[in-house]
Amino acid sequence: MKQSAVDAVIRGLKKAGVSIVCYLPDSLFKELYPALDADPDIRTIRVTNEGEGAAICGGVFLSGKRAALIMENSGLRASVEPLARMGLGAGIPVVMLMSYRGELGENNWWAIPHGITMEPVLNALRIPYRVVTEEEKIERAITDAYQWSYAAYYHSAVALGGEVVR
Amino acid sequence: MKRYDCMKALAARLKDELVILSLGASVDEWYNAAPHMREASLFQQQLGCVTPQAFGLAAGLPHRRIVSLDTDGGMMFNLGILATLGNEQPKNLFVVVWDNEMYQSIGGPATHTAFGRVDIAAIARGAGVDYAYTARTIEEFDEHCAKGLAADVPYVVVAKVAGSVQPDIKRKHSDGREDKYIFVRHVEASEGITIMGPSEHN
Repeated sequence: MKQSAVDAVIRGLKKAGVSIVCYLPDSLFKELYPALDADPDIRTIRVTNEGEGAAICGGVFLSGKRAALIMENSGLRASVEPLARMGLGAGIPVVMLMSYRGELGENNWWAIPHGITMEPVLNALRIPYRVVTEEEKIERAITDAYQWSYAAYYHSAVALGGEVVR
Repeated sequence: MKRYDCMKALAARLKDELVILSLGASVDEWYNAAPHMREASLFQQQLGCVTPQAFGLAAGLPHRRIVSLDTDGGMMFNLGILATLGNEQPKNLFVVVWDNEMYQSIGGPATHTAFGRVDIAAIARGAGVDYAYTARTIEEFDEHCAKGLAADVPYVVVAKVAGSVQPDIKRKHSDGREDKYIFVRHVEASEGITIMGPSEHN
């Protein structure tokens, strides 16, 4: 990720009022994680799997603070169970920012499943999402996701792909 | 040691705390053992989510004591949270693990703790939660509640309880959605904040 894209993500998170980020690091966002760690206005929590991160974000929601779950899109699959229970069972929202592994342009065989499953899994959970491949659209996509999730009290997602992450 | 008796002992020590707890029979037991904490308790629905959600709440409200009422099945489902607590060292999180060595709500098949080898408190210590203990009597449990509710490090007590359920107790009627609203409105009122506010006019 270019520094300017990292800056756009952090600007978007701050504009949306996010003060806590749970993450499990991945390679496409590798420049983003240390930038989040270094930001004095954001507390980062490293998790052991993305489902745990989703549940922590749900707890943060209940506190009145705003959280984000940041991960590779494969983490969505690890998060499905807590997302379904919290979102559909209780109306506790989690906003996710994920790297789009496995989209056209992918050159790793192991990442192909992530691309094939991401959008069907989001659709199965009825989670609205936006795929952003242009840097100037990152900030708006993040703030729109929070607007929606705090009106619907349901999850939303932003997937960053294309030139933004490669 | 009966879980319901432990709950009564813990409930007597609670006033301003917030509680996240698991699904199954312990929900109705807590509902009856701690009637003064009903609005301050969120009945979570999923194995593996209770302590992570309690930790998220603790991270968001660092001045408030948060109590997680987890279970052996729930903790075994996501042991990773113990490593996260070990690294993050929250100062305001007290974790109780009701360990009845069974999946009680589906009729009682054994969990991994039933065979005398798996020790959740030892796993927690190995994960960096230094204050993690097993309680086998009400007196031991109550002493850990006193210490855990006053600690400024994460504190875990694994309560070895019988597989029985307190008979003739009132069932909770609300579902997860109603529970969330009740809990959120309690947090809003007690913290003087807005979590779920009015819609915009536009």
